[in-house]
Amino acid sequence: MSSAAATARISLSSLRAHKRRFAGTFSAVLLGVAFLTGTLVMGDTLRASFDSLFAGAAGGTDAVVRSADTITTPGQSQGARGPVDSDLATRVAQVPGVAAAVANIQGAGQLVGADGEPIGGQGPPTLAGNWIDDTRLNPYRLAEGRAPQRGGEVVVNRGAAATGGLKLGDSTVLRTPEPVRVTIVGLATFGGENGMAQTTFTGMTRADAEKYLTPKPGEAASVLVRAGPGTSQQELVDALGPVLPEGVEAITGEASAAENTDMISGQFLDLFTTFLLVFSGIALLVATFSIHNTFAIVVAQRTRENALLRALGAARRQVVGAALAEAAVVAVVASAAGLLGGIGIAAGLQALFPALGFPFPAGELVIGAVSLGLPLLVGVAVCLGSALLPAVRAGRTAPLAALRETAVDRSGTARGRAATGVALALVAVGVTLVGVLVTPSIWLAGTGAVLALVAFVVLGPAASTGALRLAAPLDRLRGITGSLARRNALRSPKRTAATAAALMIGVAVVALFTVFGASLKATMDQTVDRSFAGDVAISAPAFGAGGSGLSPALAGRVAELPEVASAVGLGRGVAEVDGAGRQLTITDPVALAKGLDLGAVSGSLDTLGDDGLALSRAEADRRGLAPGERAELAFTDGTEDTFTVRAVYEQSELAGDYVLTREAWAPHRGQDSDTLIAVTLDDGVPVADGKAAVDKAAAAYGSPEVQTRAEYAQASAGGIDMMLTLVYALLALAVLIALLGIANTLTLAVHERTRELGLLRAVGQTRAQLRAMVRWESVLVAAFGTAGGLVLGAFLGWVLVQASQGSGDTDFAFAVPPVQLAVVALVGLAAGALAGWRPARRAARLDVLHAIATE
Amino acid sequence: MNTAPAPHVAARVVDAVKVYGGGDTEVRALDGVTVDFPAGRFTAIMGPSGSGKSTLMHCAAGLDTLTSGTAAIGGTELNSLDDRRLTLLRRDRVGFVFQAFNLLPTLTVAENITLPLDLGGVRADAEWIDALVDTVGLRDRLHHRPAELSGGQQQRVAVARAFAGRPDVVFADEPTGNLDSRSGAEVLGLLAHAVRQTHRTVVMVTHDPVAAAHADEVVFLADGRLVDRMREPTADRVLDRMKALDTKALDTKALDGAGERRGQGVLS
Repeated sequence: MSSAAATARISLSSLRAHKRRFAGTFSAVLLGVAFLTGTLVMGDTLRASFDSLFAGAAGGTDAVVRSADTITTPGQSQGARGPVDSDLATRVAQVPGVAAAVANIQGAGQLVGADGEPIGGQGPPTLAGNWIDDTRLNPYRLAEGRAPQRGGEVVVNRGAAATGGLKLGDSTVLRTPEPVRVTIVGLATFGGENGMAQTTFTGMTRADAEKYLTPKPGEAASVLVRAGPGTSQQELVDALGPVLPEGVEAITGEASAAENTDMISGQFLDLFTTFLLVFSGIALLVATFSIHNTFAIVVAQRTRENALLRALGAARRQVVGAALAEAAVVAVVASAAGLLGGIGIAAGLQALFPALGFPFPAGELVIGAVSLGLPLLVGVAVCLGSALLPAVRAGRTAPLAALRETAVDRSGTARGRAATGVALALVAVGVTLVGVLVTPSIWLAGTGAVLALVAFVVLGPAASTGALRLAAPLDRLRGITGSLARRNALRSPKRTAATAAALMIGVAVVALFTVFGASLKATMDQTVDRSFAGDVAISAPAFGAGGSGLSPALAGRVAELPEVASAVGLGRGVAEVDGAGRQLTITDPVALAKGLDLGAVSGSLDTLGDDGLALSRAEADRRGLAPGERAELAFTDGTEDTFTVRAVYEQSELAGDYVLTREAWAPHRGQDSDTLIAVTLDDGVPVADGKAAVDKAAAAYGSPEVQTRAEYAQASAGGIDMMLTLVYALLALAVLIALLGIANTLTLAVHERTRELGLLRAVGQTRAQLRAMVRWESVLVAAFGTAGGLVLGAFLGWVLVQASQGSGDTDFAFAVPPVQLAVVALVGLAAGALAGWRPARRAARLDVLHAIATE
Repeated sequence: MNTAPAPHVAARVVDAVKVYGGGDTEVRALDGVTVDFPAGRFTAIMGPSGSGKSTLMHCAAGLDTLTSGTAAIGGTELNSLDDRRLTLLRRDRVGFVFQAFNLLPTLTVAENITLPLDLGGVRADAEWIDALVDTVGLRDRLHHRPAELSGGQQQRVAVARAFAGRPDVVFADEPTGNLDSRSGAEVLGLLAHAVRQTHRTVVMVTHDPVAAAHADEVVFLADGRLVDRMREPTADRVLDRMKALDTKALDTKALDGAGERRGQGVLS
């Protein structure tokens, strides 16, 4: 028999004999690979679904004529595009090869459901436009009813109607953001679906659309063009070129559909996939620790076996080979199972998401080569990588080890390790501090964070010894049971530390997000505290692309209330300054100074007029501008204007960097809306009464959110909490893998200590005491991991807050939420008890006599 | 039938039968053994390999359950006890010395000695423990771990542990099996000392005639049956008796008859 065959036979027989020991490793690899595969498959499937959705819906459009000018502001993936002249449609229709051309008017329009609540608005866009009668140019198809013919008649997509409980013939309100009374005369589908994902669409007559969705009649978002027979899309675009005015371009229908898919990808899919990939990465990192630990323990337990093999003449390579071959079998089988599991997860989510109201278009699962190859590769690499060191250690087993008792693990007291760990920790803190405080650099800060993690792992064994000594009061609390549990956990500091490290990473990420979330809330609190001078705020949802904002008429209406001293609305606009997109705040600057605290103002806000602007101090410093100097602003309509800087203000948190008057903005505006109205009450008016009065006035404008100062400060909390919930859900997998690791280590330890447990039972330890002993050991390991995780996570949270601070003008507040972190700690401990449950039961089931007799 | 022993009996089994497995692989480890272990006495159980001596001890000590028959310790019948009560009985009223692996490696010598008491949450009788520690000669080792002790020292700790709670009876399973003869003699001397000086009860399983000679009485088992009892044993007499048993093992029938006859004589 060849030596390779012997190696293989040894691995296989050993695997068969120790199936149970590898259950934990198997699960860890399987879960991590399944998560990764699921993410990749789901991402590909979503992308393909949107692709076919857009391609199908826009199939009849051969070319799109639109403004060539876009302005993209930082943080925005999609640029703002100027309008085109809707008469252009008539001119385009004359071009040879054109079968039809229609103006496409588009804007935001939020439908109000039968229950008075707006439909959608927190995520996907809420769109309105003119209903296009040419069925091949309109991506929507009439499914029921008819097209709008008179003012106030609309077609809505079927999904929106179903969500809002609206039927054909129902009358409701469309906010553009001006409330418009509309009657539903038709229901439409999009590419065979009830809508474009969760996007709502309202189709109006062209006259209504021009009236409510564009600031000036005769403007359209684009012109949709259909080619005559025998004209290709490219030929059509080429033919259109000469007739288009300057600043207007034509692209093929295919290119337009691809752009739409890219837009969805850029705004949602890529973010979503990256987000999930990061969390599967964390899960796999945690898995690495668990797997390494399992292999290390198994090799240690097999010292005698390996020594015997060596004594009988097995070469070192053969022993290492056998250990690695074993790992490889586990890796391949578990990864393959993980692939299947991942595909199952994707299929399950595809079925589950629509039921939960998330967009996930139907269609075949797209399983690309990358979705299969990458997770398989990662799974095998993680598993084999984790097994490498233990395997090498197995190869070093001396033939004589068969005759010796297993060596005592002294890693916890090793001076070198402690020194290395402390040095690493100091370097980590140093690098981080430099990266955060001295020369702000996200890379330095990130390197410091990674080093901190490594330092924690290196310090683990030494720290676990110290930490478990600190847990000595448990002896008094739980008597001999607690004492035994604590000493068992102390027995192999390296093992305890590695087991705890897996949980530590999971908890650290949980703590990191908890601290960062709390800091974001505190930051918003601080912002409102410093910059919001009003008593009541009316705000449009700040999260997602939906909604149509606040009616610009509302601020004026509120200002007239007897309880109100002043009310100022803040709208948004965009312009290019020196070639870079910038957000503008469109408002009444005089009233703005009453509603917001702008800090020290140099110059005067009273005289901006239609050729002046106000700047934040930070932006003024960046551009080197002072009051009296001039700035060039380029707008989406292709015009450029020179403005005089008339005022510079300190605090830009709510006001933004550029303030323009409504008069100055009017020539360039699109669909008008405000995002925030700051209301100051008359002296002596109780806030509750003032809020009630504002609420009543706002009711006529679609009942936007009216909040007191304090409520407004907390308004962002909802979005942050939602985000945190999602993050916690995703981290649950990493924590689960860590707990599997604890359970697995304990099971192996119980196996190792069979005789000891038998002795304890013989001299009178009850089963309940034995179970408690194992569970307490588990809780101690979990407590160590949780404590380390909380410290590391809080530190990383601080780094992230400081890094965010460095990257923007906003002052970030750092907050450590004690209650949430206490909950994390308790969950960690409870999870530890849970992880110990099964090993404890198995240990308690041991037959006393059999246990004593075990070699 | 009342099997509860009279006060002067520390432990007793009556008609003890223990069957392992079933069908073709059935093994009758105990086949109707009745024996008393008197209080304040040192009894040794001897017999060839497979005679059932360890099984007898395990069943009498509440480590294992009988297939039929009864076992009792200090007036308590074991058959009626569930696992928890059996455990508590072992903890409070029985002491154990095993052949090897008697001590928990994580506990110090002192902690190992008081382990059964600690498990029961009972405060140790300091004077008694003190005396025990002196008797086994481990005062200077109290805070050491078992790994730092020699085999003989470890067994002496085990002996101290077994007597720490003043149990009704101490069961010792080949306590000298892993020791050199000098260390073995020390351990046996300690057991005998405990019986004679402090009136404890010891039941010891051994295959070593020299060890058995330390006992007050030896009971002989063969093929799961009680075949003989011997008072005031000496190593030579025990060795002779064992040789006879080995010889007679060739003729099972003859052995059975002899065993029963002699057994009855002694048991009266």
